[in-house]
This record gives sequence, structure tokens and C-alpha cells, in this order.
Amino acid sequence: MRPLTDAWRSATSRLIIIYGALFAIWCVVLLGVVQWEASRYLSSVVDQMLAARIRYLERTEPARLRDTVDAAGAIDSQGYMWAGLFDAQGHRLAGSIAHMPRELTEDGVARPLNAGVADLTRVGDAQAHHGTARTRAVARTLPNGDRLVVAKESTAIDGIGVIIRRGVLWGLTLTLIPGLLGGILIARGPARRVRAIQQAMAPIREGNLSVRLPVGRASDEVDLLAATVNATLDEIERLLGEVKGVTDNIAHDLRTPLTRMRTRLYRLQQQFEGRPEAAQLDDCVAEIDTVLARFRALLRVSELEDRQRSACFERMDLGLVLRDVYDFYAPVAEDRRQVFELDIGPLPSLRGDRQLMFEALANLVGNAIKFTPDGGAIRLAALTASTGDARIDVADTGPGIPPDEREAVFRRFYRSDDTRSKPGCGLGLAIVSAIVRLHGYSLSVGGNERGAVFSVTCPAA
Amino acid sequence: MPRALVIEDDEVTARDIVAELDAHGVTADWVANGREGLARALADGYDIITLDRMLPGMDGIDVVSELRKRAVDTPVLMISALSDVDERVRGLRAGGDDYLTKPFSPDELAARAEVLLRRRQRAGRDEVRLRVGDLELDLVRHNALRHGQPLTLLPTEFRLLEFLMRNAGQVVTRQMIFEHVWGFHFDPGTNVIDVHIGRLRRKIDGTGQAPLIRTVRGSGYTLAAAD
Repeated sequence: MRPLTDAWRSATSRLIIIYGALFAIWCVVLLGVVQWEASRYLSSVVDQMLAARIRYLERTEPARLRDTVDAAGAIDSQGYMWAGLFDAQGHRLAGSIAHMPRELTEDGVARPLNAGVADLTRVGDAQAHHGTARTRAVARTLPNGDRLVVAKESTAIDGIGVIIRRGVLWGLTLTLIPGLLGGILIARGPARRVRAIQQAMAPIREGNLSVRLPVGRASDEVDLLAATVNATLDEIERLLGEVKGVTDNIAHDLRTPLTRMRTRLYRLQQQFEGRPEAAQLDDCVAEIDTVLARFRALLRVSELEDRQRSACFERMDLGLVLRDVYDFYAPVAEDRRQVFELDIGPLPSLRGDRQLMFEALANLVGNAIKFTPDGGAIRLAALTASTGDARIDVADTGPGIPPDEREAVFRRFYRSDDTRSKPGCGLGLAIVSAIVRLHGYSLSVGGNERGAVFSVTCPAA
Repeated sequence: MPRALVIEDDEVTARDIVAELDAHGVTADWVANGREGLARALADGYDIITLDRMLPGMDGIDVVSELRKRAVDTPVLMISALSDVDERVRGLRAGGDDYLTKPFSPDELAARAEVLLRRRQRAGRDEVRLRVGDLELDLVRHNALRHGQPLTLLPTEFRLLEFLMRNAGQVVTRQMIFEHVWGFHFDPGTNVIDVHIGRLRRKIDGTGQAPLIRTVRGSGYTLAAAD
């Protein structure tokens, strides 16, 4: 479930969660205060009733007190108010309370009794022994040493608490659930846009600088960001284009005068044939040929990079291309006493340009031969991988390519320090890379210090 | 003396081409635009036409396809600043016989023009046997003899030798060899072709006879009977 985790991870989702949590805490605090205030108020109402009742009983004549206490309990038996008269030892003298509650001090201050009072009005009821629900009670010592207790059930106060707590619960549920759902819905919009941007970035990462990020009409933060990235890309593309254009133009413009110069030197060389000047002129011509070959290679890379993936790729027999490359290079490897091995397995049908694939593989094999010492081994192989794609390997027993240079070797003009002594211009792999990309194939380099392996993976057509 | 028509809008290039062809014994007429070039090519019997790909008036591709439509089979060497393989294929498909990318060295142009002229002279003759000095190549039986001794040639070597013998006495450049023998059109680097020539040379010239294959410095190779 990647999309969901993505949605959770998005900034909007995080904001909604933080906001939801703050809201819940605030709700609980607010309603806690309300509950506390309400129960305090209700307690004070109960306490006033208790105070009034105990004052009334205190003022009753001692002779009639027992009857009054009994009567008070009886009258209020439905109203959950109890009264009790106990002697100094705590024995019950009158009233509906079975025995003196232990938590009570005879100071006339109302206190909560968590266990309630042992109710005598409900005879046979289990509560008679175990006490009622929560009550508040007040006790006073009479002048004769007897103790008077008045109690009133306080479950109503708890009831308020329950109602408020339930209110909090409902309130939170009804606010938070739609809030979170709405939040996820809201978060999905930007998440989708971010995903669209990610998708748009993928080809840019691979070097296709002509792609731009989608910019919506909302002109919000995401759009502003995308527009900024697009403007940056415009600038990068322009600069890269300029750099490439400048190099291409130099190469292009210098070719004509260089070719003319080469022609003149060549004619001179022919005139001096057989004299010592001829050898020097020959060197000059060779040098110009090297420069011209580099310019050709440079322009070839540009040309291949600018080319759109050809719609007219044809069915291509890769095995045949490999055999051609093998035949072309076998004598070169043989001259250097290298073992050149060709291994063609069953291959899927592929679409491509035979000319270009030959060029790419010729470059790879040419490199392999060049960098492998005399007597080494080169292997050119093509087989069908377990994925069903064709894989071409060009392996050698040269010095290999250090892992930290494996990305760089495909860049124009890149030459590793070890290879500077060899002839070449560092454009061969750039050509290979451009051809492979043009085909939608992929190119990777592996191996170790005992040799490099270049692999081209060609998805079956 | 063979006659060439040079259809080329750049005056400097045109003058170079005319001079080079002249040096190789080919009389060349120069025309600067496509429409006029087409008219001249249709009216006069030329032996070869060099045709710029991009021309004022009428595109080089249109000129050559119009020529072929009217059954004019004069060999056409297309010259273009566009080096892309697709462009080459388009040029050859329209009816061009060879394709040369600007800038080119004049000797490369001359070598290619001569190959085309040679092919035209040969046209009609159905050759089954090529002979240069004491070197013989039987195209039907697919065997080669030097001084009566059979040579063992690999298929590539056979094709290479056939190309050299068909153009015996002419300079062929490495690029031409690569294009004709292998059929590919990119820059193969010089040394691979040299290695192939070296092997062929060892096989046909290695037996003590006068060498037939000669390296033309700065240009290419030529196969010719020793004088």
C-alpha cells in the first residue's frame, strides 16, 4: 500500500494529524474544566441542602430528635437522603443509616463518601450492608455527645460527569473522523501532484532536459515550486545547449579548413615522395586525420543524442550483428594473441537499427581489445536473460574500471588516468551510450580489477 | 575522356571538385542550382554526376529521383553536409550510387568517382572471373589463385579481395573499403581495416611473388599488377 503510506508521509497529512491532536487535547481540557465547574456547583448545591437539613435537625428538641431523624430518613427515602443519630460509641440510635461512616469527621463540613452509606430503608437489599452509591455526607456532634449524620446521594454529579465525558467522546469522534478523512482527501490532491512531478522528473534525471514539470492553474506553493524548477531547467538546458552548440560549432567549422589544409599537405607530401620531408608531411597528415576523426566522433555523439527514437527500427537479428562484429575484430585480437570468444545463445526477437548496433558493439569490442594486454581474453556473448530480455556482454581481462568511475566513463571526453597513454579520444563510450539510449536499451558496466564487463540489456520487442 | 557534371552551389567546393576530377582525367562541367543541373543531366550524356544534397531551386534528392524516374542511369555521387545514416539511406534510396559527407578530402571524392566510373564501364559485362596479373578470382566457384596456386581465403577476405580487384589500379580509401566490404557507414577507425588488409596481403603477397597490394600513404590502398 505505497500510496497510503505516501499520503501519511505527506506534509499536509502531518499537519492534519498535529492539528487533530491539538484539537482533541483542547476539547478534553475545555470539557474537563466545564465538568469540574459543574460538579463543584452541584456539590455546593447538595452541600447547602445537607447543611440546611443538619441545622434543622440540630435545632430540634433533644426529646423529639430520634423521631425526627427517623422521619427525615423515611420522608426522604425516595429522594436518596439519609439521616442517622449515633451515640458517642458509634451505636445507632435512630435513622436510616446502619452505622457511622468511618471517613466522616464531626465538624459540619460536607465530604464525599465513596462507599456511600449503609442504607437501612432498603431492607433485604444487598446495599444495606454494602452501602449505597457515592454520597456526600455531613456530621456534627450534639451537645450531649451524640452524633448526627446527614447524607445525600451524589450520583447526579457523577452523572453530569458521565454526560460531559460522553459529550467529549462524541464530539471528538464526530469532529476528528470527518476531519481526518477530509484531511486525507485534501492531502491526496497535493500528494497526487507531487507524484506527477516525481514522474515528470524521472526522464530529466536520465538526462532528457526537454521535459518540464506540470504546472496547474491554482498558482499555489506547488505550482510556484514547479514553475521555479521549470525556469531552472530552461536555464540549464539553454546553458548545456550553448556549451554543446559551441563545441559542435567549433568541430563543425574547423572541419572545412582542416580538410583543406590536409589536402594541401597531402599534395605536398606526394610531391616530396621519397625525400625526408615526405615523412614529416606524412606525420602532419596523420595528426590532422586524428583531429578530424575526433571532430567526427564528437559530431556523431551530438547527432545521435539529438536523434529521436526512430520509428522505423526494423526486426533485427542480434546474433548476426554479433557475428559481424566478431568477424570484423577477430583478426585484430589475433594479432595481439588474444583469445576472442563468441557465444550466442537463443535470442528473443528485437527491433533496432543493425547499423547502429554494429557501431555500438564495435566500439565496445574495440575498447576491450585495446585495453586488454597481449595474450588476454575477450568474450562477446548474447543470451536471453531470465526476464526474457536479451543481454549482450562484452567482457575483457584488462585492468577493469574502478567502481567510482563507472558512471563517468560514458561521458564525453572522459578518460580514466590509466587510459591516457592509449590512443583514443574518450568518445567511443559516449557514442555507445547514445545508441543504446536511442534504442531504449540499457547499458551497465561491471567486472573487477581483473577485467571489465559491459552489458547491454535489450527488452524483447 | 569521361565527362562529369558537378551540381554544387558552393563555389569553393565546386572549384575543388572540378580541379580534382580534372587531375584524374575527367572533364567536369559545373552547375550551381538543382533545376538547371537536372536539365543538363537530362540533355547531355554525362558519365558521372556529383550532386549536392542541399541546393537552391531543387533539392538534391528530388534531382536524383527525377533522373531515375526518367530512366537516366548515370552514376550519381551525392555530397552532403548531413552525415546522419538516415540521410545517407534517403539519398541512396532516391537513386544515388554513393554518398559522401562534407567536408571531404578531394582524393576521397576522386577515388569514389573513379569507382563509380569503373562500375559503369563494367556494366553489362557479366564477370565471373577477375584477373590482376597472376592473381585470379573465380566469383562463381568462389576460389582464388595466385600464380596458379590456390589461396585459402575467409569469406571476409574474399569479399575484400573482390572489391580491390574490381577497382584494380584505383586508390580505395579505408572508408570505402569499410562501406563496400562490410556495408557499414560510420568511422571504424583506421587500424581495423589495416589489420584486415595486412592479413590478405600476407596470404596473396606472402609467397615470394611481386606484391600486388600497395599502401597509398595518407589515402588508402591500391591493388595493381606489378609493372
